[in-house]
Amino acid sequence: MRSDYKIILDLIPENSKVLDIGCSDGELISLLADKNISAQGVEINQERVISCLGKGLDVIHGDINLMVEDFPHNQFDYCILTQTIQAVQKPDVLLNTLKKVGKNIIVSFNNSARLSKIVKFLLSGSFDSLLKKSDSDQWYNTDYIHPCSIKDFRKLTLDLDLRIIGTYDVINQKKFTNDRIPSNLFCKEVLFHLTND
Amino acid sequence: MREITENKEYPGFLLKCNEHLKLDSGKSISNFQIAYQTYGKLNEQKDNAILICHALTGDQFPAEESPITKKNGWWDLMVGPDRPIDTNKYFVICSNVLGGCVGTTGPNDINPETSKIYGLDFPTITIRDMVRVQKILIDELKINKLVSVIGGSMGAMQVLQWAATYPESVKSIISVAGSLKHSAQNIAFDEAGRQSIMLDPKWHNGQYLDKDDKPENGLSVARMIAHITYLSEKAFQNKFGRNLQEKKDLSFGFGIDFQVESYLRYQGRSFVDRFDANSYLYMTRAMDYFDVSEEIQKNKEEIINNEVRFLVLSFTSDWLFPTKESKEIVSLLNSIGSNVSFAEVVSDRGHDSFLLDEPQFFRVSEGFLKGIK
Repeated sequence: MRSDYKIILDLIPENSKVLDIGCSDGELISLLADKNISAQGVEINQERVISCLGKGLDVIHGDINLMVEDFPHNQFDYCILTQTIQAVQKPDVLLNTLKKVGKNIIVSFNNSARLSKIVKFLLSGSFDSLLKKSDSDQWYNTDYIHPCSIKDFRKLTLDLDLRIIGTYDVINQKKFTNDRIPSNLFCKEVLFHLTND
Repeated sequence: MREITENKEYPGFLLKCNEHLKLDSGKSISNFQIAYQTYGKLNEQKDNAILICHALTGDQFPAEESPITKKNGWWDLMVGPDRPIDTNKYFVICSNVLGGCVGTTGPNDINPETSKIYGLDFPTITIRDMVRVQKILIDELKINKLVSVIGGSMGAMQVLQWAATYPESVKSIISVAGSLKHSAQNIAFDEAGRQSIMLDPKWHNGQYLDKDDKPENGLSVARMIAHITYLSEKAFQNKFGRNLQEKKDLSFGFGIDFQVESYLRYQGRSFVDRFDANSYLYMTRAMDYFDVSEEIQKNKEEIINNEVRFLVLSFTSDWLFPTKESKEIVSLLNSIGSNVSFAEVVSDRGHDSFLLDEPQFFRVSEGFLKGIK
């Protein structure tokens, strides 16, 4: 199981209602369903939508950049964005909408400013290393259009009036204590638990 | 009293109901009958049944060869052995709608009270009335819960009505190229079609059968108008362009110059042979009156408690029932907290895509049905 899913499963209480944005083939939704948590997915790729449907999962086919306004307000307890935020056209607009759609927002992403990446960038002189999502990605065709650091994301939550309930180091499966900012240089993957109140 | 017999006029069955049925209009009909066809086998637990709802000009023969057109049934690609709606697995039922002209009681039947053909004395019916009659059929077949109710266009309206009115009787529904309510533009097109029929002198105020006549021109023009709305600009362009029909030069007259004109006239003419003008009036009216939003909201508890699962499908080039309207269905269902899935299929063939060979559409539907437990 993906490490960020483990944290999410521990985090979300039973009988919650969840919206999983960029749900891929529905792995997380299935895991949540096993825990008696009902989740609906959003996915842009039709093959993955079909795969979700075949598993009996609820999924909305579409481009999240174009459809967030379609979701009625206050319908979900949790909105989840795993490994998606950096590929969204306007992360601030999306988070602002999700704030109205659900009480809690969970966001996980790879820290683009970690030391290993920066060193690679300095040595290669190429942005490819910072913007890579898969091996075929180049700076001009990558989905990673908004690389961001842990520090960047914390600033965005302040700007949007979102309160951070918890911050997690995904790889090491541990929660950072509230007064300590996760190390911007060394944490590879981070997960934020945010709330709108 | 209700009785199921073999249908002597068409293949399939007739459910004859000797009872009063109160309609939305406040009027009622008595001694009505439902013509239906089935495919596959109903299992012992009676829990493998799927109801298919046909569109405006459809009939109860979606699969196999149609006894009416002698061509493949209108949803032959969707329904049959090893098809997305697999008749090896499911027992598929399809009935002609109330007000229709393929065996179910409609305006061209005899009014038992006057012993004359109904004509315009047939009460105005709604999509809910059509569904009421379907529910009677499902009850008579002793089926408690349908695996799914599936339909496109006017069929999608019936499908949503099923979920709203009888949520306890359906596990899931698939709405294809549908909407919560008929749009103003669609009502406008319907009205143009109806006026075309009613302004034909051979319509005789709806009593044309008494006069052994038929408003063929009116009905054919109505079909031509409607047919344009079923396609897309691109579909017309791809199919015909500005190609001339069996000639090299323009005629400088008003005969058929372009292939697209010939095609449309053919569509109109051939429709007249298989469809009835009064049925066309009644069914388009039923679509105009359709607005299921309130009833879905009113019955949300029942819909949620029965865990009805919804699949809403649309096609990119459909401008008669555009994706926007399917998304309105999804938004409403989301707002009541129901289990809803949605997919938009890429196709440049317009509203008619739901009747055509669209592999993505089939795979999405099949996938969804597979997930219904």
